[in-house]
Amino acid sequence: MPITTTRRQLLAGSAAALALPAFARAQSAVKPRLTAISQWSAGSDGAAITALGKKFEEKGGVWQHSPVPGFTTEMMNKLRAQIMAGDPPACSQLKGPEIAAWSKIAPTVDLDAVVAAAGYEKVVAPDLAKLHKPGGKWIALPLQIYSTNMLFLSKRAMDKAKADKIPVTWAEFNDLAEKMKAGGVPYPIANGGTRADDGQKFEAALAGISPTAYRAAIMNLDKKALEGPEIKAAFVQVRKIADWMDPNVGAQHFSTNLKRFVDGDMGVMIMGGWAQGVLRNAGFKFEDFIIAPGPSDNSKPVFLLNADAFIFWQRKEPDLQAGQTLMAQLVMDPAIQTMYSQITGSIPVRTDVDLSGEGWSDGQRRTAAALKDAIASNQAVLSLAHNMAQENGMTAAIIDVITEYVKNKTIKPEQAAIRLADAVESSR
Amino acid sequence: MTIAVSTTPSRRAAADWVRRLPEYLTIWVPLLLSAAHLIAFTLWTIWMSFTPSTLVPVAGWVGLRNYSAVAASRNWQIALDNLLLFGSAFVLLSLATGLILAILLDQRIRGENLLRSIFLYPLAVSFVVTGTVWSWLLNPGLGIQKLVRDLGWTSFRFDWLIDRDMAIWTIVIAAIWQSSGFAMALFLAGLRSVDADLIKAAQIDGAGPIRMYRRVILPTLWPITITVIVIQLQFAISTFDLVRALTNGGPGIATQLPALVVYDLMFQRSLLGRGAAAAVLMLLILLAVLLPYAAWRYVQRRRAIHA
Repeated sequence: MPITTTRRQLLAGSAAALALPAFARAQSAVKPRLTAISQWSAGSDGAAITALGKKFEEKGGVWQHSPVPGFTTEMMNKLRAQIMAGDPPACSQLKGPEIAAWSKIAPTVDLDAVVAAAGYEKVVAPDLAKLHKPGGKWIALPLQIYSTNMLFLSKRAMDKAKADKIPVTWAEFNDLAEKMKAGGVPYPIANGGTRADDGQKFEAALAGISPTAYRAAIMNLDKKALEGPEIKAAFVQVRKIADWMDPNVGAQHFSTNLKRFVDGDMGVMIMGGWAQGVLRNAGFKFEDFIIAPGPSDNSKPVFLLNADAFIFWQRKEPDLQAGQTLMAQLVMDPAIQTMYSQITGSIPVRTDVDLSGEGWSDGQRRTAAALKDAIASNQAVLSLAHNMAQENGMTAAIIDVITEYVKNKTIKPEQAAIRLADAVESSR
Repeated sequence: MTIAVSTTPSRRAAADWVRRLPEYLTIWVPLLLSAAHLIAFTLWTIWMSFTPSTLVPVAGWVGLRNYSAVAASRNWQIALDNLLLFGSAFVLLSLATGLILAILLDQRIRGENLLRSIFLYPLAVSFVVTGTVWSWLLNPGLGIQKLVRDLGWTSFRFDWLIDRDMAIWTIVIAAIWQSSGFAMALFLAGLRSVDADLIKAAQIDGAGPIRMYRRVILPTLWPITITVIVIQLQFAISTFDLVRALTNGGPGIATQLPALVVYDLMFQRSLLGRGAAAAVLMLLILLAVLLPYAAWRYVQRRRAIHA
């Protein structure tokens, strides 16, 4: 047995020794090129990926980015078509459990060597790292982190409510919303009308009530937890939130209503950190709003993790392979992560990036601190509404129940809880 | 001798064939290509609906499992109910609106051409645009309700778009706005082609305008009516872009339609097999409309030949 190991090591060693110069030669001989698809085309997302492309070109690469605007699923349709045609992009945006699912349908690049060379694994949250190495090897790289349950408090609405305290628990939150309503804010909760928006309200409610129940019910789909009292409590909280929302928004995107939020016509927005980038991109000032971690009944921050990532697909062309290596190095680079997060309003994946300097907002510092605290108290969980906790099919089935509940006020919380458990059962 | 006799006609036939070659090419090549596409993709979808495909197509056999899963899902049940309601309301109302518009236009009024263009114009607009514009008009916070309230009638309510029981009617309204012009155009053509002698004879017999329409003109329109119904029905069954832009299946999942469910299953949930099953079910619904129509056409033609 020891002999075989030695022989294998020897073989691997010599193969590597033989391959290394060839690899180096290939690297120097070709101009690195990267074909990439993502959903980011406009606003702060578009600006950030364009800036990343510029950096790629500065390093001597050829940047070929094809954005597919809309939701992640629309981008996936292009990815599916390209994979089925045998022409996958060198890298594409993909995140959460979809990385594992999609990696089974086409060969991906083994990034272990590049990741090890950058010493990246030590600075990434372990739960996050797991999603990007589904078979034990790194095949995708996280790019930026958002928390989906951040509170955006409108300064003008706070003034109307004569309130200055940032709510920490759901009770304080509800109190603030009541005060806003009494103070003349027509809709204490700022909202859009999309499915993901409704989903975010539920996940923020449940995770804030009990991160343990959230992990068991939503992430692990534990039957007992799905029928537990926390789910019902979360639906009760969601109904309160729904009653404070503007029912007129129809199927609108949350960003349609940002002006009303800043004007104090809507009070609190429960949204991911990306809203900071969107607000700033729309010309609003940081003085207009406060960003804080979402309510948590045990007062320790709960972080609903959402991380954008790139997955790398195997290509035979040497220039594309060189482009993939360059891209991987760039994505892991602290300077690039800083640049990217400062444009979009996210926080860097690397936990060793210092956010005290200029260019970072208080909201981002609070988010980064919340992530650190949440990891320490085991309260960092994966977002359902943004496809981090479950694959698309399961997510859609759960969100069907939530969005119907938000819009149909005749459904009782108990009924919703039963429907949720049924929906999970039938989509397993 | 015999050889010469036999070659001359065949050579002529060959020359004829060459002369008509462009004609054959323009008709048969596109026809065969589109037929091949239609048949191949239909067969492929049917096959797909019996496989366990999820993210990408895979071979395998799961029997009717995809069909039972689709049929049991809440989305599909809501979609079928909505289709029944939307389909019948849309077809009947667009038929009635189109007919009324056509009769009014038929009164030899001034500016007929202009009015005809105005009524037909919505047909030139894409359904996505129709959906978006109507979603603004019907939005209680932005559109008609706000306008009327701002004018002073503060208790006015028109919030169907966000009312989950009434939202399906907003789709009916937008769809009628879009396509009653089309029904009008067909009916108008029908009205204009009614035999003038027939009308004159009725006038001599002393028939008033209402009686004339009821007894003489409208009965001649029924083949056009059937055509309009069939075209509108197959449109109703395949409605997708209008709903997507107007309500996106909402509020909640109240305005789901079969086409939305297919898209959702295939592309949002990445369940290709189930999506294909839902698509095949849609095809069956469509056949339930088209086959009786084809049979009716066949009987009509037989009757015309034997008459």
